[in-house]
Amino acid sequence: MKFPTAKTGVLGHFMTPDEALQAARQIRDSQYSQFDVLTPFPVHGMDAAMGLRRSWVPWATLVLVFLGIVSAQALMNYVMVIDWPMNFGGKPFFAWPSFIPITFELMVLFGAIGTAIVAIWAGKRDTIPQPPAMEIETGASVDRFVVWIPASDPKFVSGEVVSFVESLGASGVRLVGVKEGPDAQ
Amino acid sequence: MTSSSPYATVMDDGQLTGRPIVLPGAGPFGGDQEIDEPLVTGGKKYAQVDQDICAHTEQFPTGRWWIAFAIAMAFLSLLGFGVLNLVYSGVGVVGTNSPVGWGTFIVNFVFWIGIGHAGTLISAVLFLFRQRWRTGINRAAEAMTLFAVACAGIFPLLHLGRIWFAYWLFPYPNDRGPLWINFNSALSWDIFAISTYGLVSLTFWYVGLLPDLATLRDRATHPWRRRLYHVMSFGWNGSNRAWRHYELAYLILAGFATPLVFSVHTVVSFDFCTSVMPGWHTTIFPPYFVIGAIFSGFAMVITLMSVMRGVFKLKNYITINHMESMAKILLLTGMLVGLAYITEFFMAWYSGSEWEGFVFRNRAFGPYSWAYFTMFICNVIVPQFFWFKKLRRSPWVLFIVAALVNVGMWFERYVIVITSMHRDFLPSSWGMFEMTFFDWSILLGSFGLFFTLFLLFVRLLPVIAISEVKGVMDPNVARGEG
Repeated sequence: MKFPTAKTGVLGHFMTPDEALQAARQIRDSQYSQFDVLTPFPVHGMDAAMGLRRSWVPWATLVLVFLGIVSAQALMNYVMVIDWPMNFGGKPFFAWPSFIPITFELMVLFGAIGTAIVAIWAGKRDTIPQPPAMEIETGASVDRFVVWIPASDPKFVSGEVVSFVESLGASGVRLVGVKEGPDAQ
Repeated sequence: MTSSSPYATVMDDGQLTGRPIVLPGAGPFGGDQEIDEPLVTGGKKYAQVDQDICAHTEQFPTGRWWIAFAIAMAFLSLLGFGVLNLVYSGVGVVGTNSPVGWGTFIVNFVFWIGIGHAGTLISAVLFLFRQRWRTGINRAAEAMTLFAVACAGIFPLLHLGRIWFAYWLFPYPNDRGPLWINFNSALSWDIFAISTYGLVSLTFWYVGLLPDLATLRDRATHPWRRRLYHVMSFGWNGSNRAWRHYELAYLILAGFATPLVFSVHTVVSFDFCTSVMPGWHTTIFPPYFVIGAIFSGFAMVITLMSVMRGVFKLKNYITINHMESMAKILLLTGMLVGLAYITEFFMAWYSGSEWEGFVFRNRAFGPYSWAYFTMFICNVIVPQFFWFKKLRRSPWVLFIVAALVNVGMWFERYVIVITSMHRDFLPSSWGMFEMTFFDWSILLGSFGLFFTLFLLFVRLLPVIAISEVKGVMDPNVARGEG
């Protein structure tokens, strides 16, 4: 007897990106919403084929960039104008042109590092839970283009999904993430 | 279907011509069609790419690696010796003295920062320009950037004299007044520029590594090794839901790194051109420094790749076409650097400034004319060989020209720093600059540090961006089997 877990789902793989794109379109059009495609490299057009919208990460970048600019300006204005004004040949304390290089650098620093962290976090958050990579060996880091329909998808019905993925032309279709239990129960 | 691709039969460099492949009658209206030559030769499969690139991180290093590592470590110990002496005795042990107050430390600093620039240029600028050949070389070039920045970072700290107060460079609330750093100074801009550059380069490099670390994890047999790579790759599983954010973040990072790389050497040049020294106080400095940095960095990339592609058997991934592309960039940037040299001379004459005119006459025909002409010949004359396709595609010519450009670019910084300072406004305070043993040991030692780090990198991590290379391969050739 096998029991489903939070990470149960159906895997099937393709050998080329084009086949996976075609399959993703068909899965999308069959009203699945929680499925995923695992690929060794980003496949052009896969977002549209899966019905995913453009990533929202650039909006986070925009916020971070403003944070960088404001931090740099706040620091330099506090130091050079308020806390420790120094007279260099009667020039103004608020010497905005010489604040520009550091403002730019901090803008880039906040924007770049923040974007990387946000994108990695967002990718983790959006990835649909799966049994550990070492257990199921999808081959998606090597040469397989794997479709993954989890049991958490509202349309998931175990037997039907396996035959559906097979009908798309995928090989190695299998149910993973089920827990073995005693038959009597 | 598998064998119908014209790429399936291109096996090695010998079959690459550097010109498009012509497919007779394959065009949409029955005419000929020209397609680019493959970026990966040898009819490789996706799985073979993993094997070829990951294998040398998974086996005991070769004898050749140990020999190279021993030499690099010997030079690194020279750095340790020089730095210890310097810190113990003070900056008097090196040649820096009146009137040349900026000696080899500043020369080396500018040199190493410049080397780093090609890595960012390859990974960011060529990415934005959709130059797909960058995929073969970007990982190693980015690693080179990191190690070059690490080398460069040593020198301003040593130049401080009292390195144990280096943390004073950063603005933080303190009980010395509070005594803040002066944000009107180009030197304080430089601290922010270099720190940002180092951190952003590291981020960019690491983000690029994530999918490849997952590949290493999936190949690993030892459970600890597997666990380690799993953590390092943040559990990457190739999900397109993650790729969606990843790709856009990578594009944004490239978009940040591009102006950043131009800003860094611009700010380095501000260290010079915001001063009032003749020979430094010129508006051409920012573009001149940036283009020189790219030029020298590409020379270093060619030097490293010439060796790496042979030693690690990566000629299928870093093909002679890649090398030729870099040679073309070297030719272009070499001519731009030459233009800058000539423009400087023209402006020294055209400005009518007596001091400016003297400094440039002194540069070319004074006691340091040997350095000036070494620079001019190595940087402007030597790259002209690359007008000839045959020479651009000759590994030995590439290696020798790139090595000479490295020498020439070090002398460019030497000429800029030393010749402007050794004869200033008062002839009574003129002098000459002599490099001492410790100048040499720290200079050569910095190469030791660079090559030690690079050799460790090639042992421990994939030297080619696996997931990016797979993305530019022809799926009809590279597809998996079974």
